[in-house]
Amino acid sequence: MTITTAEDWRVISGESLRFFGEMSATVSHEIRNKLAVINEKAGLIQDIALAMKSGRSIDPDRLEVQAGKIIDQIRQANQIVGALSRLGHSVNATRTRIDVAELVGLVAELYGRKASQAEISIDTTGSAVGVSVITSPFLLEDLIGACIDVALPRVDATRTMAIASESSSDGAIVRFQHLEGVDDSDTQLGGEHSGFHAMLAMLGGRVVADCRRGELVLEIRSCEQSESGSQL
Amino acid sequence: MKEKVLLVDDEEEFIETLAERMRTRGMEVSTSNSGADALQLVDDEDFDVVVLDLKMPGIDGLDALKRIKRRRPDVQVVLLTGYATVEKGVEAIKEGALEFLEKPVDISSLTEAIHKAKATKMILVEKETEERIKEILHHQSW
Repeated sequence: MTITTAEDWRVISGESLRFFGEMSATVSHEIRNKLAVINEKAGLIQDIALAMKSGRSIDPDRLEVQAGKIIDQIRQANQIVGALSRLGHSVNATRTRIDVAELVGLVAELYGRKASQAEISIDTTGSAVGVSVITSPFLLEDLIGACIDVALPRVDATRTMAIASESSSDGAIVRFQHLEGVDDSDTQLGGEHSGFHAMLAMLGGRVVADCRRGELVLEIRSCEQSESGSQL
Repeated sequence: MKEKVLLVDDEEEFIETLAERMRTRGMEVSTSNSGADALQLVDDEDFDVVVLDLKMPGIDGLDALKRIKRRRPDVQVVLLTGYATVEKGVEAIKEGALEFLEKPVDISSLTEAIHKAKATKMILVEKETEERIKEILHHQSW
């Protein structure tokens, strides 16, 4: 990874904090929504219990169904918390070997709600298995998030953004597909003075617009060595 | 008289369960899982209160609130959301929402907000009726 200037570090830190803040807010809102469903289901069970106490005959299956739905909401909330936890832990390593498909899947999961608000779904099933690079996982997550932000308004009539990762000669490529009207201005991400340019320089990466294929392409070079010293 | 309520939220499990609990409490409840569908229902039926989620695909809660108030100024709107921020709350009240409640909500708080909304609507309707009568009497040649 390229050594950056103090100004680069400043903008990278600012952008990183913004990204982490946005993801934390998104997840906390998601959890609140799950808690709201659990709250209503528990309330409904209370209502049913009150009705039974007052002598009404109620099919016990109704209670079983509601309890099952509560368990399902807890499972979903736990999955969301798990994603935030993985994002949080990724800050710990500044340079480590990561599985690209796994990392793309994590960011796509965190962006799921934002995409669904735009009536778009994200499909990550096209990623090649076993592609890994040595890089800063958190900065790469932020960059993938920035690409999703740029790509979302460009998604074509399929209303599905495919994100596919593959290996390259010196690292990995992440393709954001099914876009229309994508052009070079989309490769600027947050602009010249945003943290993204410094991040790309630091990770030895670049963003390219493939207008013909309707893709935004994020190329990442793998570092030669991780923090623990394992050679690429 | 029963409160006629429209619940709007894209989380189906949430609105269906809440609707059932509100019906148990004597309200007449309809549900909708999108802003666009809710606007159609508001055009077609005379609701006392619309309980709106803030974040929904397509037309979001604030946009739906503005459109509802334009079409039916007397219909009262309660925002119920997991995405509450002070800024959004202020904006919602400025746009005419009666209450801004956070999820998860206690059913008694929501019921109280709905009773208040129904009372507010009745006052508005009475005022409107009174003004109409005055207008008729003013133009009537005796």
